[in-house]
Amino acid sequence: MADYGIRIHETGGPEVLRYEELELPPPGRGEVRIRTTAIGLNYRDTYERTGLYPVTLPSPLGGEAAGVVTEVGEGVSGLAPGDRVAHATGPLGAYATAQNVPADVLVPIPDGVPDEAAAAVLLKGLTAWYLLRRTYPVQSGETVVFHAAAGGVGLIAGQWLRHLGVRAIGTAGSAEKAALAVENGYAEVVLYREEDVAARVRELTDGAGVPVVYDSVGAATFENSLDCLRPRGLMVSFGNSSGPVTGVNLGILASKGSLFVTRPTLGHYVGNRTELRAAAAELLDLVEQGVIDPNIGQRFPLAEAANAHRALESRTTTGSTVLLP
Amino acid sequence: MSDYAIRLHRTGGPEVLQPEPIELPPPRAGEVRIRQTAIELSYGDVLLRTGALPATLPSGVGSSAVGVVEAVGPVSRRRAASDFSVGDRVGYATVPFGAYAGVRNVPADALVPLPAEVGDEDAAAVLAKGLLVWALIRRVHTVEAGETVVFHAAAGGVGLIAGQWLSHLGVRAIGTVGAPEKVRAAVDNGYDEVVLYRHDDLAARARDLTDGVGVPVVYDPIGAETFASSLDALRPRGLLVSFGSVSGPVTGLDLGLLAAKGSLFVTRPTLGTYLPDPATLRAAAAEVLGLVACGVIRSNLRQRFDLADAGKAQEALEARATVGATVLLP
Repeated sequence: MADYGIRIHETGGPEVLRYEELELPPPGRGEVRIRTTAIGLNYRDTYERTGLYPVTLPSPLGGEAAGVVTEVGEGVSGLAPGDRVAHATGPLGAYATAQNVPADVLVPIPDGVPDEAAAAVLLKGLTAWYLLRRTYPVQSGETVVFHAAAGGVGLIAGQWLRHLGVRAIGTAGSAEKAALAVENGYAEVVLYREEDVAARVRELTDGAGVPVVYDSVGAATFENSLDCLRPRGLMVSFGNSSGPVTGVNLGILASKGSLFVTRPTLGHYVGNRTELRAAAAELLDLVEQGVIDPNIGQRFPLAEAANAHRALESRTTTGSTVLLP
Repeated sequence: MSDYAIRLHRTGGPEVLQPEPIELPPPRAGEVRIRQTAIELSYGDVLLRTGALPATLPSGVGSSAVGVVEAVGPVSRRRAASDFSVGDRVGYATVPFGAYAGVRNVPADALVPLPAEVGDEDAAAVLAKGLLVWALIRRVHTVEAGETVVFHAAAGGVGLIAGQWLSHLGVRAIGTVGAPEKVRAAVDNGYDEVVLYRHDDLAARARDLTDGVGVPVVYDPIGAETFASSLDALRPRGLLVSFGSVSGPVTGLDLGLLAAKGSLFVTRPTLGTYLPDPATLRAAAAEVLGLVACGVIRSNLRQRFDLADAGKAQEALEARATVGATVLLP
């Protein structure tokens, strides 16, 4: 049976996504071939499509999928045909019915986790994992701020924080999104368009501020996020949805209370197979237990990936989206 | 001689530092009067005099001194009896502007007791810088035995104390200095490796000494000039502690640089934030002065000036004609 995948030959709108027959070579040394069963849709896929994130054309697309091992290349140990696996940190090419993937980026899927749940949750869940468990390991009883609480990472973070006994203050852009955030574990949600987030956070913490702010919004919220922090608190800037944070004078960290700032990326936290597998095991175990619900809101056939992109960019999706080959 | 102090009526050269008689009121509730015996000379005092540090004039000068309690303010409804009694030997390092004086009233909350084994001059020379080093290596990043760290300006006042303390804790310290003649002082004070930060490739040296990985923490009081090389010396997820800016402040930082160089952390601490209450201050001072008492930390006190000659003392410091620490004696 022939394999198919989505490729782009030029950058642009959703119409540049072409569903084409693939000629996959046998898996190379250190690689494994998987038959893809579910693909995670992420906003960054649209950045690669439009060229905001540079790619070499023609380019395959997609960075997250689940599937079944069908063939194992030379030098690969611990994986065999029939194994259920997922990946979120490999090369582009997940938008396909089959893919050769470096064995080091594959993680096993527990029996109780459906393929589409693994595909929907892995990238966002690994992000939530490093933020909450490594960049700043949260402690039960703490209060933290998480921006964009109703976004993909935000919904997973809220559920995880609730499970860890952390009081999460989320931010959201509408009452509807605030309600979704509360369903997903947030104790409080501040509507950032209507309220001063830092002032509200001070009210909710008896004036003390919080030990950590997780901020994927970037330029628009940077200073206000610093004002949410208690002395010696940590600002975790992990995204730029409003534009990058530039022009920072380090003196502001001193004057606002000896603050810390970091700008993490997933790769530096799951840089080797051992770290990646430990992180994924912790995440997928919580999915299996029902602590973390991937909130799959829509499913599209892989061949209709363009429609999935249109829905994502017009903000008509809720929760996460998977493509099915 | 009657009581006197050196106060700043205008900013300028060393000549603006002139002794003048003072009439001290009795200490108020919560205050203690100290007959001062030794005063720290610090570079911050020079910056205040020249106007580089903004101050409201007229202003006192100096932030750290030691002495003997001479009087204790009255007990009030809001203030219980003081922790200190007449005759106690005490020091302070966190009361801004006014240490250049023979006698002074200061808040009792800012005082720390001096151990019997530590002389007044050594205590005055070490206390402020020692508290800063305590915050840096015991709180901002708590160093661990076996770690390798970078400490810039290793032959400066703070750097010399840090080197001795890090060595005592079993930490391998890479120091940096600006001139070859300072290498010896850094090595004598505990640094395992010394790098000339203007000439040598710090990042390459740090990686050589850590199997290519980089160090978990860089302590940097230099600022703009060393910022980039400090980031390059760090291992992934490492911390840059920017605690001064003698070469100019770090501005215009694009946070993306922290991601690109390995998900790094940056902080810009001030001492006050790490000494939020008297109990913390006294515990920190006890740790510092305890290490002085047992000989782990030497004060490197090399110059003594009469307080009345504070202008000359500052002139020597500015001309880099001093080595180690300097105290003023009332």
